[in-house]
Amino acid sequence: MSSPVPGTPSVPEGSAYDLSEPVRMRARWLRALWADRLGRSGLLLLGIVLMLVLVGPILFPFHPTSFGASSASILQGPSSRHWLGTDELGRDILRQTLVGGRISLLVGVSATLIAIVLGAGLGLASGYFAGWRDAVIMRVTDFFLVLPTLPLIVALAALFGQSLVITSLVIGLTSWPQTARIVRSQVLSLRERPLVQRVRSLGATDARIIGSHLLPNLLPLIFANLVLVLAGAVLAEASLSFLGLGDPVHVSWGTMLHFAFSSGAMGVGAWWYVLPPGLGIVALVMGFSLLGHSLERILSPRSREAS
Amino acid sequence: MTAGYLARKVGSLVVTLFAVLTFNFLLFHVLPGDPVRLLARSGHLDPQEAAQLRSLFGLDHSLPVQFLIYLKDVAHGNLGYSFAYRAPVTSVIGPALRNTILLLGVATVVTVAVGVLVGVVAGARAHSRIDSSTVTVSLALWSLPTFWTGMILLILGGVWLGVLPVSGIATAGYEFTTWGKVEDTAQHLVLPALTLVLVNVAEFVLITRSSLVEVMSEDYMVTARAKGLRRRVIVWRHGVRNALLPVTTATALYIGMVLGGAIEVETVFSWPGMGLLTYNSVLQRDYPVLEASFLIFTIGVIVTNFIADLLYHLLDPRVRQA
Amino acid sequence: MSLLEIDDLAVTYTRGESSVAAVDGVSLQVDAGEALGVVGESGCGKTTLGLAVPGLLPGNARVSGGQVRLDGRDLVGLGERELNAVRWTTAAFVFQGAMNSLNPVHRVERQIAEPILAHEPGTSRAEALDRVRSLLEQVGVAPARSRSYPHEFSGGMRQRVMIAMALACRPKLLIADEPTTALDVVSQAQVLDVFDTLRRRHRQALVLISHDLAAIARTCERVVVMYAGVVVESGPTAILTPGLGEASHPYTRALIRSRPSLRGPRILADALPGHPPDLALPMVGCRFADRCPVAIDICRTVVPPTVTIAEGHSAACHLVSEAVS
Repeated sequence: MSSPVPGTPSVPEGSAYDLSEPVRMRARWLRALWADRLGRSGLLLLGIVLMLVLVGPILFPFHPTSFGASSASILQGPSSRHWLGTDELGRDILRQTLVGGRISLLVGVSATLIAIVLGAGLGLASGYFAGWRDAVIMRVTDFFLVLPTLPLIVALAALFGQSLVITSLVIGLTSWPQTARIVRSQVLSLRERPLVQRVRSLGATDARIIGSHLLPNLLPLIFANLVLVLAGAVLAEASLSFLGLGDPVHVSWGTMLHFAFSSGAMGVGAWWYVLPPGLGIVALVMGFSLLGHSLERILSPRSREAS
Repeated sequence: MTAGYLARKVGSLVVTLFAVLTFNFLLFHVLPGDPVRLLARSGHLDPQEAAQLRSLFGLDHSLPVQFLIYLKDVAHGNLGYSFAYRAPVTSVIGPALRNTILLLGVATVVTVAVGVLVGVVAGARAHSRIDSSTVTVSLALWSLPTFWTGMILLILGGVWLGVLPVSGIATAGYEFTTWGKVEDTAQHLVLPALTLVLVNVAEFVLITRSSLVEVMSEDYMVTARAKGLRRRVIVWRHGVRNALLPVTTATALYIGMVLGGAIEVETVFSWPGMGLLTYNSVLQRDYPVLEASFLIFTIGVIVTNFIADLLYHLLDPRVRQA
Repeated sequence: MSLLEIDDLAVTYTRGESSVAAVDGVSLQVDAGEALGVVGESGCGKTTLGLAVPGLLPGNARVSGGQVRLDGRDLVGLGERELNAVRWTTAAFVFQGAMNSLNPVHRVERQIAEPILAHEPGTSRAEALDRVRSLLEQVGVAPARSRSYPHEFSGGMRQRVMIAMALACRPKLLIADEPTTALDVVSQAQVLDVFDTLRRRHRQALVLISHDLAAIARTCERVVVMYAGVVVESGPTAILTPGLGEASHPYTRALIRSRPSLRGPRILADALPGHPPDLALPMVGCRFADRCPVAIDICRTVVPPTVTIAEGHSAACHLVSEAVS
């Protein structure tokens, strides 16, 4: 989903974030994030989730074929043997949840990388070259901004199949327009800076101006946006997989919930099957959106004065 | 609002609709290759049907001609034939569309009303305790996946408390009076609508809040205070009235999101609307229905954006004359 | 008794851990019908001083000492309800840059009528709108334009609308904060003419807050010069015009010198080297000492006393007090 966390100050056309010192900013950023209440909660939340998901499966490996021995071990609530109960095939839900997070994260990250490269690239090109190229790119961007994201993702996934690669591609290819808009408006103001103007008049090539003058100044903004796109991508993956369009072999949190739903786990009140993967998604998404919200606040000079 | 402005807006609406149709045609008819083969793969077609279809679709024609045929069909309201339902797509979509509009209509009115109200309460006291807890709760709600929220509400309200219906739009097997029918529908509506409100309200809370916080620091707010007006008048007549402008723009983003939410919520609660139809058409690989649903979702977004645009221009005198 | 008496007023802004006294012990009086100019560089506390009168300070600022007495009432410490009764009815504002001070989404007639309807219950809408039209006429705006929106006016006309709005409840005191700053020279003169006319007609008192010495010299009888939150000199406006009178404080003199003498832009040029002191730091001695061309040792250690030079003319400067004694 391409929309950023709502309520964060959006970038008005041509307005400039204060990104004048990209290098020194980096250290200040982390400190500012940690100092901000929302930023710190985001970092902590993400730290916990990443820890569980990356280290967890090593301690509690999941065996997809370790089915329950009898029907008595199916959809059982938490017990000393299965801390978070069992699924409809009698498999351990805790172990499945830990490893499922890796899939959700993997798809979220790869989709986000696709979206950011695409969005930042198009935004840069659009803002830098201006003229008809700008007009064309922005028309296309606005068009994709209008398309309802989940229906589009569902349609694409239904047409092109189910695998981690396709899921990442489909989400990535539909999540870039917001990034393109934000990057473009920043480029528009950066290119009017005296330094950029002077370098250009000295005959620097486009590649050099973009590479050494624009991109370094854009990175903080792109990073803030990346975090928000990540939150959206994780949500989109979950929705898509819940609708049964995820990779059936590599089970993500969304796919787990799909099986929980289609096996009738809710009818028997099997909360232990529904809660863990869902809370995982919420923690991951909330971590990213807290971080993104906080980053935008730190980067936006206007709200910095106000607070 | 000038006639020239309206004409420009309508012109751009027409261009966008044409672009949507082109995109739809490319997505469903060109990109996956031969749509008849696609349908055959889904297992709904025998060879005879396939041959019929090939001539029906005019697949012996060139792409531009196919596109013209497609445009003509859409213009005539001919959206194809559903293989799962064995009926024209339009007849399948009609009742589903009505149910979705009911669900989204109720959910949207509540979402916007609650969202703006809470956003104003928080924004008028920026950086207070109420304000910062509102922001935190909103970010948490924003992070909820729609379908999962629905599942939780289904377990809580339907299975555990057992007070509300959790599936469909009507209780089967009963003959109701008119009023009883309304009541029955309303009961079925509660959980799906509540799900949509919960996951979408944060958008409006946060946008209203940040917009109002910004407006509250404007010079004209000092003027309003200097005039000796009551606080309620200052906040609503001068603050909220201005803060609402970005909120109308936010509706556009919201509509794009809530249509996705409809697919998830209708699936969880078996609400017989466009979302459930989309879900079923995916499960059954009923591509004509999937295509028509996507087209209708997109047109819905575009038309809503158009209305939001007009509303914005009515609310803001500065652009009204521009 | 004066209409407005400000006595040893201090206003403190709090930002995180640090606090800043933007106004630090200012005293002044304005009589009914009198026009007082308040001059100083931006950041000297003159705007804060104006806002403090009817309790309009932003949330991070508060009155930390002193008194404000308006029309015989002590205003410091009053609640919003009581202050609302005073606001606009006794003291009304004309703010800087009326584009942002007028609400963009309401017609000007509604904005002008608003305080009438709020403060004079029983007034009908029609009566209020009638008054709006005559108010607009008074300030030289065609009454037919009352149904326009702020953005449909030019800068000068907008400022007149703002003045009409300030007059709506016939206040005894008008506080005008940089009312001419964003305007071209012709509009500036016209707006100042409006002030003159109104004052003659209604005997309204005026506090004109500006960094424009010329505007103050032509409109006001007396002037108060502020620097870094304190009054450094006050006296008749004649002291601002070389030939008519003589300023005593080195800061006032620097201000007068830095003003282009010929028909240049009438704004304070940045000819004075250095910056005002950081108010968050503790103050020792005279606040102007670091920039003062004639400072002596005592200036850096002892706060200069305010000494009377002539009837109604005083300054806070060690050199002046030496010369007087």
